[in-house]
Amino acid sequence: MADYLRYLLGRFMVIPVTLLIITAVLYGFVMLTPPEVRAELYMPNSQRVMTPERYQNMIAIRIKMYHLNDPYPIQYALWLKSLVQGQWGYSPTLREEVLPSLLRRTPVTLELTLYTMLFFIPLGLLFGGWAAWQQRHPPDRAFRLVAFTATSLPMFITALVLLAVFYVALHWFPPERLSISSSQVLYSDSWRVYTGLVTVDGLLNRRLDITLDGLRHLVLPVLTLSMAHWATLGRITRALMIEELQKEYIVAAKARGVPTRGLVWGHAFRNTTAPALASSALSAASLFTGVIVVEIIFGFKGVSELLLSVSGTADAAPVLGFGVYSVLVVLLIMFGLDVAQGLLDPRLREQREIHAAA
Amino acid sequence: MRPRRYFTRWQNLLALLLLAAYAGMAIAAPVLAPPEDGSGETPFQRVSDVKDYKPQPPSSEAWLGTVATSVRNQHLDVFYTLVWGARGAFQFGLTAALGAALLGMLIGGLGAFFSGWMQSLILRITDAFLAFPLIVGVALFNQLYLIAMRISSVQTIVIDGVSQTSGPPLPLEFFFSRFNPIWLALVLFSWMPTARLVNSLVMTVRNVDYVIAAQATGVRWLRILLRHILPNTIAPIIVLTTANIGGMVLVQATLTFIGLGGESAWGSILAQGRHWIIGSGGNPLMYWWVFVPVTLALVIFGIAWNLLGDGLNDWLNPRKINYAQF
Repeated sequence: MADYLRYLLGRFMVIPVTLLIITAVLYGFVMLTPPEVRAELYMPNSQRVMTPERYQNMIAIRIKMYHLNDPYPIQYALWLKSLVQGQWGYSPTLREEVLPSLLRRTPVTLELTLYTMLFFIPLGLLFGGWAAWQQRHPPDRAFRLVAFTATSLPMFITALVLLAVFYVALHWFPPERLSISSSQVLYSDSWRVYTGLVTVDGLLNRRLDITLDGLRHLVLPVLTLSMAHWATLGRITRALMIEELQKEYIVAAKARGVPTRGLVWGHAFRNTTAPALASSALSAASLFTGVIVVEIIFGFKGVSELLLSVSGTADAAPVLGFGVYSVLVVLLIMFGLDVAQGLLDPRLREQREIHAAA
Repeated sequence: MRPRRYFTRWQNLLALLLLAAYAGMAIAAPVLAPPEDGSGETPFQRVSDVKDYKPQPPSSEAWLGTVATSVRNQHLDVFYTLVWGARGAFQFGLTAALGAALLGMLIGGLGAFFSGWMQSLILRITDAFLAFPLIVGVALFNQLYLIAMRISSVQTIVIDGVSQTSGPPLPLEFFFSRFNPIWLALVLFSWMPTARLVNSLVMTVRNVDYVIAAQATGVRWLRILLRHILPNTIAPIIVLTTANIGGMVLVQATLTFIGLGGESAWGSILAQGRHWIIGSGGNPLMYWWVFVPVTLALVIFGIAWNLLGDGLNDWLNPRKINYAQF
């Protein structure tokens, strides 16, 4: 247990280090802009219309206050400090503070991401293992063809095809997050928000219809996202599994007449899942990008709304805030996968002792 | 590395055939779809005076029909965009993948060149960039581009019809007057797999006996790099880069489609026509020409590059390094 905790701590320390590097790079890009633009990052929450002179004055005060004419390290440190204090700036386009507006939209994005991961990771591992077991047989050939096509399809085309079939032609799964009648329930007094995830809150509020409606709307986006990631994970699992099945302990067990099925799923598969999850963790960033793309296409009003609303106007604070936020999300996804890996693979936990013994 | 083995697999032949077809289409674009109003600059051909807001089916004038624009009575010729879009796709895919590959080789090579803390710092930075979603980079560069435009419009004063800028151009303006923001974002945020691959390859090759022998006999480091290390690392990089080319074009089209910029002609005409897929009421194939040809063009373009990459991998990567792990 202590080893596992030590392993987790080691993996957890990656988060602050990566955040430091990424925020330094982000602020490096911000340094390319003149001080007047940087001052906008610190503008207060104000809905009043200001006279140009007053605005210039406020900008000048902020340039002085946050040392925006000073060298990079000083500016970066001050920006980092305000980030930690939760002051992520104010967006004139959204008429809202950046951090609250991100947090308010988080449950939508979280729900989509969670269901996608719960869906594609087990399926990817199982299909990959199965294809490796059946190597060069029809199931393997079929898997390789489907996986190849799925990785070659851009997400918006999968989304369009799924929408054309299951929404336009069959009317089974509509776009957007909820039907109009269900979203009205969400704004009524009887609805209590527990987690913000409609499928969970529906159960807690004893409104099964809302949960089902939420799930019905999640089917197509989750399917779109899962397609690409399922295929990638499956291909990696397959390659790792084929390698594992050629190892001596498997060959020896086979020679002694141990049934293949048990060898494949009981031994080889268990040893493959952790490294397969590790490579999945490497593509956590592309999973997040996919979530944003799918949110936009299916009209889910998650954190992608921030990007869309400022996409045509110069408004730096929300974009920078979105950047820090999404790196944080990606790192948390990676950490989650690290936790799962440690649970699945005792070798990772005991690395320290192996090194010490060697 | 016998070329003959490469040509015996039907997948490889199919990939070459498909890419040759696209290249032919891109080169012969002025013949296949001659620009009418002499503009010829954009991959879009306007069809005016259509007295209908609905997409027009294929006709002798527009071979693959038209799709309506937001301008009244003005449509776009689908076939024209299909053909001319191939040019943009090749240009963008090749330059972006090559840019990312060169940057990755530079950073990965630097990491392997140094040892000790410098190397671990470079590797740490590479890993940190892996946690950076591409879409954030795109949003960031779009934002910097808008800011650069705002600044240059403030600085530019028009005197007697001639625009004059006050003061020297800022680095920001300098950057964005030469590069497209989406291109920059894609290059700057997708070099990490190449860098990791290069780093691990060079680290392996560096300690091989013949390299150590060359060093011991006093061969200069540049010669070692070019004669011994590069030939042994270039093949996997080529494989990775080839597979990236299609991916870059697909990402560009995706970004254009969801309205985050990019100049993908295929993505933009699909975005124009998206309401005719979703909103056609019952029969998704009613206006098939709006999206089926362009979608196929895009998907097959991606598949062709992936096939080429897979084939090259089997041929050039006998050790079967698993690139998905980088």
